[in-house]
Amino acid sequence: MKPRRIIEVGLPRLLAWCLLGFLFVPILVVIPVALTDRDYLSLPRDGISMQHFAALADWSKGWLPSMLTSAGIALACAAIATALGVAFAVGAWAAGGWWPSLMRILLLSPMIVPPIIYAVGMVKLWARLSLLDSYTGVVLVHVVLALPLTVLAIGASLSNLDQRLVQAARSLGARPMTVFGKVILPNIVPGVAAGALLAFVASWDEITVTLFITGRAVVTLPRRIWTSIQDAVDPALAAIATVLLVITVLALIARALIEHRQQQRKF
Amino acid sequence: MRNFKTTALLLTVPASLVAIGLYAAPILQVLALSLTEPKFGFANYQSLFANAAVGRVVMTTLKVSVTTTVLTVLASYIVAFAIIHMSAGWRRISLFLVLVPFWISVLVRAFSWITILRRRGVLNSALMETGVISTPLDLVYNLLGVTIGMVHYMMPFAILLLYANLSDIDRRIMQAARSLGARPATIFWRVWLPLSLPGIALATLFVFVFSLGFLVTPALLGAGKTLMIAEYISVQISSTSRWDLATSLSTMLLLVVGIIVFAAMRSPALRAAFVARPQQ
Repeated sequence: MKPRRIIEVGLPRLLAWCLLGFLFVPILVVIPVALTDRDYLSLPRDGISMQHFAALADWSKGWLPSMLTSAGIALACAAIATALGVAFAVGAWAAGGWWPSLMRILLLSPMIVPPIIYAVGMVKLWARLSLLDSYTGVVLVHVVLALPLTVLAIGASLSNLDQRLVQAARSLGARPMTVFGKVILPNIVPGVAAGALLAFVASWDEITVTLFITGRAVVTLPRRIWTSIQDAVDPALAAIATVLLVITVLALIARALIEHRQQQRKF
Repeated sequence: MRNFKTTALLLTVPASLVAIGLYAAPILQVLALSLTEPKFGFANYQSLFANAAVGRVVMTTLKVSVTTTVLTVLASYIVAFAIIHMSAGWRRISLFLVLVPFWISVLVRAFSWITILRRRGVLNSALMETGVISTPLDLVYNLLGVTIGMVHYMMPFAILLLYANLSDIDRRIMQAARSLGARPATIFWRVWLPLSLPGIALATLFVFVFSLGFLVTPALLGAGKTLMIAEYISVQISSTSRWDLATSLSTMLLLVVGIIVFAAMRSPALRAAFVARPQQ
């Protein structure tokens, strides 16, 4: 290679790989820390130990109840957000006009508006309705925060749908609910599934608003992790981080495999 | 005919009610409280501008947000540009390296950085054992740690935005430039960069707005020593119960974010980038 080519092509490429390393490698540090044989946050000294993973499964340590709490809230949130999101996206797509456009902006705004502002508002509102530190309160807030994702995912699916399909069904005399249920819905199943998954993940990960509207009664997993990070001692924290990392990696690999298979089927 | 449209509009009602009642209303109440708590008027705003602590917090927030945005967009552009030039196999690996941090919990990422950067952390231990330094460096619970954590959090977003934008650019333009005798550097500065400006602008906008109101990473990696607006607001509502301060500062933050987004939407390229992605 000529020196000029090394500077113009090789150097940026090397830099790009270093930056990719900066993104990925630091996350891996939680794995050795989770395997430490000490009872404080440290790298393993005299061999590795699985005791901190065992602590996760110990009900009295609080990690397992928090995981179940988060899973339950995320399931409820995904179900409600998906139902609301499907109805809204389909209705807006079929009706058009200023009202759905305006409501769409409002529904999507939690993606831009800093969540801390929403947290301030919700603390006030839930205090008045005595929904602070309740499952209902957390689920409703998570639904609001998950709706932008379901609306976008289902909207993307709908934008590939041919409007003439609806016209054909209607001209053949299908009633409105039949059109929605039997013509539109079956065609957007992938978008609905993606929306439900995104809503689940959004709820499972939510921390900023949850932090202010929960207390002792509802301890979600992110909240438990938050408290534990501030103490910065318990290696079980690294163990739970490792578990979350493994789940993320497996989910991404599964998605890649599914996409790969779908592409192969096309040819 | 009428019946169909009415049914469609009815379907939008439940989500709209949730958005109005559980999103718009509580936020409007924050705005209202900033003018009425404890009594009606702009007194809260006057004391906000006279408050030296708030001034320091705002300066820290701006400093961190600007640094984060510049570093993130620059680094993300380098990565996204390299990814679109890779073979399919390497591209898949690179995108995997971006998607893992993109999807993993922000708390896990903050925790990883604390483990690496703290005084008895992985990096300091390694540097001390190899004899590079004799006393541990202060890498976290300060401006440096917050900035590292923020750049690490924002980069996957920015890379994916820029990657989508760069993939949409028609490569035949570069072929044309090359066949006309342009050197690679010229092609980059005169063709790639101008065509990717909308993507860069969108990434800059998103990263800056997210940084301004970000709570988790600054709070965990700053640990109260590097206070940014979101954490300052959180202290006002959870420990000192200063609702006047919390609501007026929230309103200011919302106003600034609103102005930035509104100004950005006036640019046709940005509006197109925003609207084209979701449904029409």
